[in-house]
Amino acid sequence: MSSAGTSNKPASGHVSASGQLQQRRGLGDLIAKKPELVTLGLLIAICIAVAIANPAFLQPSTLIDIGRASVVTGLFALGVFVILAAGGIDVSFTAIAALTMYSITLLAINHSPNMPIYVVFLIAVAGGIALGVLNGFLVYTLRVPSLIVTIGTQYLFRGGLLAFVGTTWIMELPGQMGTFGRISLLEFETANGATVSLPVYFLILPAAAILTWWIMRRTLMGRAIFSLGGSPDVTARLGYNVKIVHLFVFGYAGALAGLAGIVHVTANRLANPFDLVGTEIAVIAAVVLGGARITGGTGSVIGTMLGVLLVVVVDNVLVMVGIPSTWQRVFVGAFILLAAAFFVTRQRKFKPAK
Amino acid sequence: MTQNTQKNRCFLELRNIHKRFGGVHALRGVDLSLEAGEVYHLLGENGCGKSTVIKIMAGAHPPSEGQIVLDGEVFNELTPIQSLDFGIETVYQDLSLIPNLSVMENVALGEQLVEGHGRLLRRIDRARMQETATKALSQVGLDVTSELMSTIVSELPLATRQLVAIARAIACEARLVIMDEPTTSLTRREVENLIDVVSRLRSQNVAVLFVTHKLEECYRIGGHAIVFRDGQCVAQGPIESYSRADLAELMTGRQISEKRYREGSPSEDTLMSLANFSMPGRFHNVGFNLRKGEVLGITGLSDSGRNELALAIAGIRPAASGTISINDKNIRIATASDSIDAGIAYVPEDRLSEGLFLSKSIYQNEVALILRKLAGFMGILDMKKGKEIAREISADMRLNTADIELPVSSLSGGNQQRVLIGRWLSINPEILVLHGPTVGVDVGSKDAIYQTIQKMAEDGMGLIIVSDDLPELLQNCDRILVMNAGEVVSDLNGASASEDDIYQAMLGSVQEGAA
Repeated sequence: MSSAGTSNKPASGHVSASGQLQQRRGLGDLIAKKPELVTLGLLIAICIAVAIANPAFLQPSTLIDIGRASVVTGLFALGVFVILAAGGIDVSFTAIAALTMYSITLLAINHSPNMPIYVVFLIAVAGGIALGVLNGFLVYTLRVPSLIVTIGTQYLFRGGLLAFVGTTWIMELPGQMGTFGRISLLEFETANGATVSLPVYFLILPAAAILTWWIMRRTLMGRAIFSLGGSPDVTARLGYNVKIVHLFVFGYAGALAGLAGIVHVTANRLANPFDLVGTEIAVIAAVVLGGARITGGTGSVIGTMLGVLLVVVVDNVLVMVGIPSTWQRVFVGAFILLAAAFFVTRQRKFKPAK
Repeated sequence: MTQNTQKNRCFLELRNIHKRFGGVHALRGVDLSLEAGEVYHLLGENGCGKSTVIKIMAGAHPPSEGQIVLDGEVFNELTPIQSLDFGIETVYQDLSLIPNLSVMENVALGEQLVEGHGRLLRRIDRARMQETATKALSQVGLDVTSELMSTIVSELPLATRQLVAIARAIACEARLVIMDEPTTSLTRREVENLIDVVSRLRSQNVAVLFVTHKLEECYRIGGHAIVFRDGQCVAQGPIESYSRADLAELMTGRQISEKRYREGSPSEDTLMSLANFSMPGRFHNVGFNLRKGEVLGITGLSDSGRNELALAIAGIRPAASGTISINDKNIRIATASDSIDAGIAYVPEDRLSEGLFLSKSIYQNEVALILRKLAGFMGILDMKKGKEIAREISADMRLNTADIELPVSSLSGGNQQRVLIGRWLSINPEILVLHGPTVGVDVGSKDAIYQTIQKMAEDGMGLIIVSDDLPELLQNCDRILVMNAGEVVSDLNGASASEDDIYQAMLGSVQEGAA
């Protein structure tokens, strides 16, 4: 390189960006980069506290209970994570799930009681995609914040369900929909002799998590989603098709919601059109507890799953230590504030020097 | 691509391009042709249409009228991906990096996006991404470590970000690299490196289009000058054939001399005095006196501690130790409002993110600091008085509009800067600290800002200009303090020093320090 008459040392042409970065190492840095470690720490702390207060917590059946209870929230949360990463937010996914699960149950009862379960899932996913893509289309074309759009569509989907599809509970599920929820993967006997089983549908969650991880980390779409969450204008300028990204994230979240709806029906052996809607804030809370920023562009699948576990554990095990269920919300709320305060102070500390 | 057979043929041609934004006619019939392997300097004042023309080439804006010809193929408009596909790479002024992705991804993802013609459902080839990023980053002179590669861009210092943006542009097989003010936050060393990169691109038959206000760099790089004024191309030719005065006249349409603005001299009374000012790792034992009516320059490389010193005086990031006294009274500066109370006004370097409320009106921006003064009965603001004051400020600062209700975002960079300076003048500070007062500001606005600086000094204010624009310091300052590695290493007379003296002081002890 030309040295402009200053006879620089050979290495002086290189900028020591790494030198400035080295000052910010250690635990704090690690947490700033991997906020899900905080979630993990919190989760472990709660489990230890509960185990000390009530040793009955430490048995396989607890794990199975938690696993089973995580599936629906977990599927929803993966969808929310993808949308949050793209800088949006969705509150209509529970309505998508309710609408698809109830409509499909009715469809199966009235037209094809012996519909194989995979067809049920396919239709649910397709329906979820259609409704989700509608969200994405509206967000993109109207240029309205996705919160507003999805509040609108949540009302539409739910109102449509109750007004046009039905309001009665369906207790007798048709054919395979009724039996699928009972197929078990693992069975355990609890201390008091009852059998607890981990149902096969549990596998849907890890499968969806791995798929989401792969899309977000290994494909251009995943990077485009994070880009959009980081800076929408720049993303468009760099040649990413922002419209496709919008349709994809909302469609994907819709697909997961459709899936979650069917899991919910088969697990409970009941199709209740009033179910699910109202749980969206808890799901968003779980994702945020997993380290995703509500302002977009961050988060991870691992963190999301840990956030879900945290919420589910608080929901399910606080009872075991004698804390009334009404207190669960207090705990979740406190955790959210704690985690948020923690992440924010870390970010301030790590704001780069100009 | 049959790149070699097309040597010296026109690569990109603009034919009669017009662009209107609402009522504003930003480009009025631009004809331009760029050839492979040539270097062009697009010059002009802010608001003359330079950025718009770039955005049309990059496919970010469609033209309202006219045609774009690429390799003989005629387009009425381009999409970003088409433009990238033809090898047009842009380093935007705002850098256009994705803040939450890693350095490696920022530099090398585009290659794979363009290869798939924008298709997103593709697997990323990480090995290739790494290879491409390593090559490009080392070409711009960055020390490529795996830590740098995985660092999230928003955690990098500004100068490194600028280099990363340049690396992205040269990472792919570019055929035209457009650089919009690529050197604003680079040190001299990094600029030299960039000039090397440009000559390498040139030898690879790549066209380079620079947009800059730094004329000395244009002359150093050489090539063709393209001068814009009011949305039209007013001159085009080898840059050596124009003098600085010629170019300034072409850009502004009037004559501007490269004179020394500083005529007066400071009084004998010490206004502010700093002693043993230190912040570990940033600057140490800085001490100086500022007299009434004095214009004091502070410069140094970007890591010399000059920026931190300015922030410490402003109370934004207070110093760890040291004393500061104003009119022989010791004061404590722990917060920005301490500094304001002591009569120190600070105009930040990054006016867009640190100073201005862009979507608010000129009026609201200008009176932002004197709201307490305007508040009357029950805290209700006296709007009429406020507007009167705002009109006065606008006139004093010679804004190019009299309409104080316009949003600040509609102004050019130079006029925005004047609004910001005007706001600080509204509190009648005794000391005004200007941090990079003319970064990204055109020649005409510079002139107005310099005249304001001199007028304020004549009125007895003490001014500190923290800048790396050496002609600016030499034109305006009584004294110039040069910082290096956190210390003031030189105190030069503004009237007699030369750019070279300052450079020697800036770089000199870098070598001593390294030895």
